[in-house]
Amino acid sequence: MASIFRSELMTYAQLFLQADSAYACIREVGELGKIEFMDLNPTTSAFQRKFVSEVRRCDEMERKLRFLNNELEKTNIPILPCGNVEAPDPQIMIDLESAFESKEQELKEINVNKHSLKKNLLDLKELHHILQKTLVFFTEAGQGAMRTQGAMETGEEGKGAGGLLNDDELAGAQATKFMFVTGVIACERLPVFERVLWRACRGNVFLRHAQIEEFFEDPNTGNLVSKCVIILFFQGDQLRTRVKKICEGFCATLYQCPESANDRLKMHTDVANRINDLQNVLRTTEDHSNTYLLDIARHISEWQQKVTKIKSIYHTMNKFNLDATRQCLIAECWCPEDDMGAIQEALRSGTERSGSTVPSILNRMRTTLKHPTYFRTNEFTGSFQAIVDSYGVASYREVNPTPYTIVTFPFLFAVMFGDAGHGLLMTLFAFSLIIFQNKLRGVKDEMFGMLFSGRYLILMMGIFSMYTGLIYNDVYAKPLNIFGSSWRPYYYGANFTLAGVKNSTYYTNETWFAKYCAPTGPNTSIICNPSPPGTVCNYVFCNPATSDTKSLCNLPTEAQRRNQPYPFGLDPIWAMSVNNLIFTNPYKMKMSIVLGVMQMLFGVILSVINYIYFKKYIRVIAEFIPQVLFLLSLFGWLILLIFWKWVSYYPDATKAPNLLITLIYMFLKFTSTSPDGVTEYSVFGPTTSVASIQSTTQKILVIIMVICVPWMLLMKPLYVICKRKMAHKGHTHSVSADGEDVEGGVDGEVAKLKDGDLKQGASKKSAVKAPPSGGGGEHGDDIPTGELFVYQSIHTIEYCLGTISNTASYLRLWALGLAH
Amino acid sequence: MSLAEYGFNVDNGYLEGLLRGFRSGILNKTEYLNLVQCETIDDLKLQLQATDYGNFLQNEPSPIAVSVIDEKLRSRLVVEFRHFRNHAVEPLSTFLDYITYSYMIDNIILLITGTLRQRQIAELRNKCHPLGSFAEMESVNIASTPADLYNAVLVDTPLANYFKSCITQTDLDEVNIEIIRNSLYKAYIEDFYQFCQNIGGATADVMGTILAFEADRRAFIITINSFGTELTADDREKLYPSCGKLYPYGLHQLAKCEDYEQVRQVAETYPEYASIFAGAGNNPGEKTLEDRFFEREVQINMLSFMQQFHFGIFYSYIRLKEQESRNIVWIAECIAQRHRTKIDNYIPIF
Repeated sequence: MASIFRSELMTYAQLFLQADSAYACIREVGELGKIEFMDLNPTTSAFQRKFVSEVRRCDEMERKLRFLNNELEKTNIPILPCGNVEAPDPQIMIDLESAFESKEQELKEINVNKHSLKKNLLDLKELHHILQKTLVFFTEAGQGAMRTQGAMETGEEGKGAGGLLNDDELAGAQATKFMFVTGVIACERLPVFERVLWRACRGNVFLRHAQIEEFFEDPNTGNLVSKCVIILFFQGDQLRTRVKKICEGFCATLYQCPESANDRLKMHTDVANRINDLQNVLRTTEDHSNTYLLDIARHISEWQQKVTKIKSIYHTMNKFNLDATRQCLIAECWCPEDDMGAIQEALRSGTERSGSTVPSILNRMRTTLKHPTYFRTNEFTGSFQAIVDSYGVASYREVNPTPYTIVTFPFLFAVMFGDAGHGLLMTLFAFSLIIFQNKLRGVKDEMFGMLFSGRYLILMMGIFSMYTGLIYNDVYAKPLNIFGSSWRPYYYGANFTLAGVKNSTYYTNETWFAKYCAPTGPNTSIICNPSPPGTVCNYVFCNPATSDTKSLCNLPTEAQRRNQPYPFGLDPIWAMSVNNLIFTNPYKMKMSIVLGVMQMLFGVILSVINYIYFKKYIRVIAEFIPQVLFLLSLFGWLILLIFWKWVSYYPDATKAPNLLITLIYMFLKFTSTSPDGVTEYSVFGPTTSVASIQSTTQKILVIIMVICVPWMLLMKPLYVICKRKMAHKGHTHSVSADGEDVEGGVDGEVAKLKDGDLKQGASKKSAVKAPPSGGGGEHGDDIPTGELFVYQSIHTIEYCLGTISNTASYLRLWALGLAH
Repeated sequence: MSLAEYGFNVDNGYLEGLLRGFRSGILNKTEYLNLVQCETIDDLKLQLQATDYGNFLQNEPSPIAVSVIDEKLRSRLVVEFRHFRNHAVEPLSTFLDYITYSYMIDNIILLITGTLRQRQIAELRNKCHPLGSFAEMESVNIASTPADLYNAVLVDTPLANYFKSCITQTDLDEVNIEIIRNSLYKAYIEDFYQFCQNIGGATADVMGTILAFEADRRAFIITINSFGTELTADDREKLYPSCGKLYPYGLHQLAKCEDYEQVRQVAETYPEYASIFAGAGNNPGEKTLEDRFFEREVQINMLSFMQQFHFGIFYSYIRLKEQESRNIVWIAECIAQRHRTKIDNYIPIF
């Protein structure tokens, strides 16, 4: 059993498959999903491969299924999901093909029928509307028009609508015949239509239009369009052809509209009847097609799965080689050592099921190829592994940082999130995702899918957030006063007035807190100051109501403080106090630095585990040791100072030196011997003797750091060069022995600090995206000496700068915590 | 860098970035070599799947007709272009509109010729390039004279200005249509040229070169095509766009030409055109003059990607994509008609 700390052992294997059982074997192996097949004909283009015709048939089937799927989507028929379906035998493919073919044909026929029915219906509806709308036109026209109604024409265009003319014109135009055409046009084309009509006919055509309230479904596209009824009046045949041409150009459909009101009325009822009939027919057709589609909806996901699987099987087989006798297919693949048995079993059952007598053979091969990295994950580790992989996949057999990330990632998140109430909500949410995971698995939404796949991650983040939230004593940004604050009001000076009452007695804890810290208490500003009473204190306990800001207050007495620290986390009094941020900011900043440096150190330690595992001992000496020294002598020292300051400057931190300045002067005043400069920034104590110990230590540390840089930079390349020379001289010692050492220069550390994101500290050292490390040692010799130095200097610079910039980045833990 | 280029990315940075991404999708030499090897249209489809075209033919039942491929290629380009146009702001939006004008000219000419030959308007409608369609387009068939055409159809379109010189023509016949087309193009290219010069900067440089070449190519083609027609030298000269390198001396010379040899002699005096004519011919193994011009066009358009912060790449991309569509259709035709000897006559781009 491979441990969770490293990737699986992989074996390169050759697979001999009988031509007749290959399909069945690949099917079994594919269901297992434990093999990575190599493409043995990378130079052959897609259409020259052996099983291209089968792949193409699958393509065609997929196309038909897509067509069916589209039809289902159009009618909003839900597709029934199905479980895992095994790929059918290759012979079944023909059945599937013919089934899909007939389904597609039939559906197309139905669609054609439906289309023509819909088209008819559309025409009738349009006509119906024309009759309705023109009725309005004609009645409007009616009063003035009665006189000209005498002369009528039959046919598509009628004469009439004399109402257009006023009486004067009428007298002169008695003999002129007015014709009209009626039609329907898409509303958005109407303005242009009108303009063109006016231009082309020089204003001699009169147009009336009315929008139809109903939306029509375009039978070709299925979109809803709004249309307008138009009626055009004009004189003369020439204009008529012109008008008709323009109508044709604008896709306006023209309909005959009878002259007389009676005919129109008759037609109106007639059309209404026909619409009714047609709608009945259409409904039956729809019903028919719906039952047909329902049948398809039951099976389509199964079919899709089958076709996809067949296609993938043939696609995989396209990667295989044919042997000389064309009797068997040869495949090469990677498989995990531990799954060899399962694969053998799958091959055996595949051979049996295909009825072949000759077994398939799985043959281990030795190879110098770069091994693939394979992590066995489960639902829990999967999301963490995905995060680590996104920063770079570890090389074969390198330490997998995922197990550590499972703790560090949610923890660092929680350091920033730090609210027990919100953390609880988060936990409950993730928990509900986990409880209902079987039901939710089918949800296809992309955003939700992301949340769902990270449900365990969210759960961990929620749990850790609750923990840090309790430490910070933050529940929905309010403190919890579980144990009772350990702080006591302490006043001295006789005139202190609290809530209007002159008072110089101590309050007991509970009453005090209830009175002044409860949300209902008077609006009192509290400043917490840990200085012991009696010392001069600048902090005031002021009551805005009485504007009594003179009274001094110190919290608490020395004795009480010592006896009763708040048992867990921050004392809730801090949330009320005005100097809350002054206290928490430096606290959280320092904590971020401590956590960050620890995580980086941990990353460096992971790298040494790799060096030892791959027996690259030179890298331990030439890289790991100077790296650790470099990190510790700068930031290790800083951490030491942080703790020292915490411990030794309590309660009155005002006397403590500034750590930032201390750190800067560690370099800037390196040569300074003046005692002032030393004592002023001495953390250990103000006396010269203690201060000089600190300054001496700092000088030593700086010297170590400076030495570490050329150490990291030069030692390994020089070592490799020496070895090469010796190998040249002696010819006794194989060069490849140090090959892996040399090669190491290229591999590991590229990604070391590149992915400088703080959340990924743990993965930094080993989430490596670099070239081969396991099998690829033989390339080591090829690296020219010059490049060795270049690589090494890149890594050195990256490490040194990365150490500093990453530490600064870890302050984001605090900054984001502040933002929460 | 001029001042305008500092602010280029504010308005056009997204589109330029997008376009350069699209540019990398243009088929390269190896992909063409793979396409040429295909035995059937299905192979071609499979091969195109491996390129940036992806699944654009996946919903077409086999066998796929070449016309379907052509249509799909075109609609892809149209989608891309519309995306650019919808996201563009001034002056890029006007620039992109200018690109569509040439398609509008083509569409009008197509419709007029079609109606002249008594074709149905619905049938012609499908043949029009979607980039050049405009609302009044389909009422072209009511026009029997150029004046009609202008008054009824074109007066509201951006082409109205270009059409003014053609109104004098008396009626619409084949020759006149050709003249209308060429004078529209002349006016269009000159206007476009002027527009680009007004934008200034790298756009003026790059588009200047491209449009100058376009103008000269038209001059050459008009000259060669006019041999044997009743077009007089004076009329011919009126059709030459005047923003090219041939202007003015070369155009005078061209107007006087009476056969192909004389045209070639005119071209001799201009090194860039001399080389085009030098390798052109109709014999087997030689490339036609048209192809030679296309090759040069591709070269010029490729060069426009060498500069940044200008609009020329939008024009160039459309031209290159058009050329690519022609190439794919050519290869598909050769495969479909089993006429493999000429399959290599495509014009590779990158």
